[in-house]
Amino acid sequence: MNENKKKGLAGLLTSEKWANFTVSVLAIVLMLITSSIMLLVMGKDPVVAFKSFLQGCGMLPKASYGGGSGMLSDFFDYLNILAPMLLASLSFIVAFKTGLFNIGISGQMLLSGFTATVMVGYIKDLSPWIAKPLVILIGIVVGGLMGALIGFLKYQFNIHEVVSTIMVNYIISYITGFYINSKYVDMLTRSSRICSPAARLTWTKVQIGGVSCNIPLGVVIALLCAFIVQFIFSRTVFGFELKAVGTSRGCARYIGVNVANSMVMSMALSGVFAGLAGVTYYLGYTNTIVPKTLPGMGYDAIAVALLGNSSPIGAIFASAIVTVFQSGANYMSSSIGVAKEIASLITGILLLFAACGEYMKILGARKVQRDEEKRITARQNAAASPGDPKAGPVGGDKEKGGNER
Amino acid sequence: MEDYIVEFRHITKCFPGIIANSDVSFGIKEGEVFALLGENGAGKSTLMSILFGMYQPDAGEMYVKGQKVKFHSANDATAMNIGMVHQHFKLVDNYTIAENIVLGMEPMTRRFGIFPSVDMDKANKEIADLSREYGLEVNPTDLIQDVPVSVRQRVEILKMLYRKAEIMIFDEPTAVLTPSEIDFLLKIIDGMRAAGKTIILITHKIEEIKQIADRCAILCRGKLVDVLNVQDASAQEMANMMVGREVDLVTHKDPAHIGKEVLNVSHLTVENEHHFPLVKDASFSIHSGEIFAIAGVSGNGQTQISDAITGLLPIASGTVTLNGKDITNASIRERAKAGISYIPEDRQSTGVVMDFTLAENLALRRYRKEPYSRHNILNFDKIRENADSLIEKYDIRSGQGGKSIVRSMSGGNQQKAIVGREIEEHTDLIIFVQPTRGLDIGAISNIHSQILKERERGAAILLISLELSEVMQLADTIGVIFGGELLKIAPADSLTTNEVGQYMMGVREG
Repeated sequence: MNENKKKGLAGLLTSEKWANFTVSVLAIVLMLITSSIMLLVMGKDPVVAFKSFLQGCGMLPKASYGGGSGMLSDFFDYLNILAPMLLASLSFIVAFKTGLFNIGISGQMLLSGFTATVMVGYIKDLSPWIAKPLVILIGIVVGGLMGALIGFLKYQFNIHEVVSTIMVNYIISYITGFYINSKYVDMLTRSSRICSPAARLTWTKVQIGGVSCNIPLGVVIALLCAFIVQFIFSRTVFGFELKAVGTSRGCARYIGVNVANSMVMSMALSGVFAGLAGVTYYLGYTNTIVPKTLPGMGYDAIAVALLGNSSPIGAIFASAIVTVFQSGANYMSSSIGVAKEIASLITGILLLFAACGEYMKILGARKVQRDEEKRITARQNAAASPGDPKAGPVGGDKEKGGNER
Repeated sequence: MEDYIVEFRHITKCFPGIIANSDVSFGIKEGEVFALLGENGAGKSTLMSILFGMYQPDAGEMYVKGQKVKFHSANDATAMNIGMVHQHFKLVDNYTIAENIVLGMEPMTRRFGIFPSVDMDKANKEIADLSREYGLEVNPTDLIQDVPVSVRQRVEILKMLYRKAEIMIFDEPTAVLTPSEIDFLLKIIDGMRAAGKTIILITHKIEEIKQIADRCAILCRGKLVDVLNVQDASAQEMANMMVGREVDLVTHKDPAHIGKEVLNVSHLTVENEHHFPLVKDASFSIHSGEIFAIAGVSGNGQTQISDAITGLLPIASGTVTLNGKDITNASIRERAKAGISYIPEDRQSTGVVMDFTLAENLALRRYRKEPYSRHNILNFDKIRENADSLIEKYDIRSGQGGKSIVRSMSGGNQQKAIVGREIEEHTDLIIFVQPTRGLDIGAISNIHSQILKERERGAAILLISLELSEVMQLADTIGVIFGGELLKIAPADSLTTNEVGQYMMGVREG
């Protein structure tokens, strides 16, 4: 809209169409500024740092590469982390749109990853054509059942899903930890033994253009799932009813939607995506499970979903951005000598700003209102003294959104 | 120039797609009851929200006590001794009455001379005094969630008085009240006028204006039509000005063509979660072409009857039969399919999904049927077409037609959307709960004629209304409910308004 363009940043923040997009972009810009200041304080060049993040995930060429690897191998490694991140945020989005808060994504990931590793990953001499689909199927079934369990607990015993998922997370973490330590541990790494290449959702050491790449299968699944979720919520009766349950439970009941059923279904679907995230994470990216450790990705995904405005397509972009910092952290750390934990810090800053979206919109609305008043007073002044027609509005428009922060 | 306490000069306010106020100018004198009359969406509430600092006008000026003012928030307005009772009360449910009233300006004390804390004893005492002074009896230590709507309204009024309001705005105060409560409220308003307060009353009920107001401004589609002395104008005149055309104040009703029995409710008992009966052993039946109205004071079990019939509340005992089929244990959707439409009491949390578009809301009864969806895929073109035709037929006004988010629409238009959506299903049984609450004369007569048209078509209609006049006007059979019991069921023409009123108060025969 032309009108919005004229009003600058504040106008964008208040326009229905662009507000959410603007908030996300603004969050990224603010994150870049804040973390640059942080890096400068540490005496590092932020441009070099951000460049090395991009180099680390294969988006910019590095100065030199180790034997057999290249930019493409870095990029495929990046996609390998992207896949579970996107799937986990889709998992959150599905529940969130139904008004449920799935905080148990980590646990659902861990259990499905563990089950697939134990049931398929340790079988020797299994054809990859059987093993890989089996792993995906286990991810779907285990995740779906875990999600359905949470939905059932809520509907049958009225246990809030946040409470039950946190509890279940601990249970899963300790049970899987116990079995890994007692049965499947690799004495050297203290993690679970690595699973067979046939079961992995990554084709390892594929030669492309002279470099060795690990090609992730998960990213294809993840992108496909993003479009499926988008389709469910924008076009299907099922998605329409889930959204109705999410925004107005009373009205959904009144039009005959079985609310309890919808909540169980939604949690089950959310669990399916968490399960897929689990198998792509544990059998695609890491290939091993650290006992008694929940994947932090399950929580990062919540913020990624919010950064993407809880839209599946938004989540693709949001997870693509956040993953840059996770995937490029090692190279950044070694090339400029900053601890790699800074990557998590940067992600945290980004998510913090993303969570301030509503506040930014309020600031925008206030700014628009102030401009409006200035224009009105200017017009009234102009009417009072016709000799000076362009008294105020020019000055009022000049200071666009720059001082909004 | 006269001495006005509040004066509007050339106020204009636009929202996307709607001009809410256009060049409105008038003044309000100190110590009068000034009414603001207009249809839904005429701009009454917007104008008062401007006075209360919730909106800023796009153009024009406002003078309060002779001073030019510009309010940026409700706090600015409160500082100028302006108070407002909103149509939807703004109270904290799990706080006591006193806590709600003092919230934001609590009397403080220092416990043990050190720790600052809220002096609730003082607050309770102050509020008890204040409520006695104005005849607004409340118990300051009751929780809001435990008191009826009329008491909540008194709390809102006390809140204004506690904040030393001199200019008091009431937004549709009688919409939620029963006839006796309305009389009580009007007496309170009269008392406050005697105490020197200036009262601004937003309403579309002309008889109340005739009863209480000194002067009245009439708005029609955002423009000021006239400001008149209430004594000099007739009700018919005011109604015509408000709607902008000639209106019929009396509904014409043809004799009923009673057909077969559609709904049979037998020994129905509904309990709350503590097994306390809210509806006790109610039995009645409604026939095709009959309007069965349940009259009663709010909170006597009316909505529980309708919720039990539609399946929103479980039935403790008794049976509900529709067209000879027992639906006592059927699901909500099965009942709707069997032929029940329902206009619920709480439109905002039950009747519509506030964050969906108008088009989606208008399709809520249909989205599962062809052509609105096929093989579980929604067809948004058809949903839009459906919305356009209903918007036209029921005169639903909104900023952007079917694309408007329902939350942004006025309450009256939300109600029109629900009524239109439910009537259009043309089911065998239509349940109307307070179908015209908060609507203006034009919309009321439109909905009444739609109800009568459905009756003509042969629908069985259950009408639950707190407006006795509406019951008397439309009903073929009247059932009066008191304390969950149907005290009296009789043909409408055998009862007078007074008799019904007596039964509503619990007077038994014999």
